[in-house]
Amino acid sequence: MQEKFITVEIDENGNSSIDLEGFQGQGCGDVAKDFRGGDSVTQSSKKREFYAQATAVKQSLQQT
Amino acid sequence: MSQYEELTTTMTDQQYLVEALAEMGYKPEVQTEGTVLRGYGGVSWNRPVQVTISKDQLRGALAPVGFGRDETGVFQAIIDDLDRKYTDLNESWLGRIAQGYKERQTMAVAKTKGYVFRGREVVQTPQGPKVQLRFAVR
Repeated sequence: MQEKFITVEIDENGNSSIDLEGFQGQGCGDVAKDFRGGDSVTQSSKKREFYAQATAVKQSLQQT
Repeated sequence: MSQYEELTTTMTDQQYLVEALAEMGYKPEVQTEGTVLRGYGGVSWNRPVQVTISKDQLRGALAPVGFGRDETGVFQAIIDDLDRKYTDLNESWLGRIAQGYKERQTMAVAKTKGYVFRGREVVQTPQGPKVQLRFAVR
C-alpha cells in the first residue's frame, strides 16, 4: 500500500498551505479538515491523485 | 509625540504566541487577566494586554509591545507608531511571529490527530523563508 504524506508549508506571514501525497478521493478532504479544524491551514488544493478515484468510479458507472 | 497603534493578527492561543516569541529570543511577560500597557511619555493603551515584551528587549524601541485580546478573543498587537516606522517592529516582524505561531499550532494539531512527524525544513523563496512540516499517516 502506498505510503501517505502530508506537507504543511507556512510562509513568513503565517499563511499556510497543505500538500498531500498518496491520497485519493475523500481522504484528501479528511486530512485538510483535520488541519483546518485548528485553523492551521488556510489554503489547500486538490492534486491529480484526488481525481483518480473519482474518475475510476465514473468509468465504472458508465460501463454498467 | 508617539502613540500606540493596533495591528491585526489572527492568533488566539496564548501558549503558541508566547512560544513563538520565545523562539525569536524574547522573554515575554504574561498576565492572563490583562495589564495596562504603558508607553513612551506615559501614554497607555486603552485596553488591557495579556502578553508584553519589555522595551529593553526591543532594540532601539521607544516603548514596550503588547498583545491584547479583542472582544472576540483574538490577539491584536499594540505597537508604538514611531517604533513601527523606524525599527523592525513592523508588519514583517509580526508576520514572523505568526509563522512561528502557525508552526506550533500545526504541530499540536498533527499530534492530536495522530499524524507522524517526519521532518522540518526551511525553504528560501523570493517571498521569504517558508517552513515545511512533513507528516506521515499511521
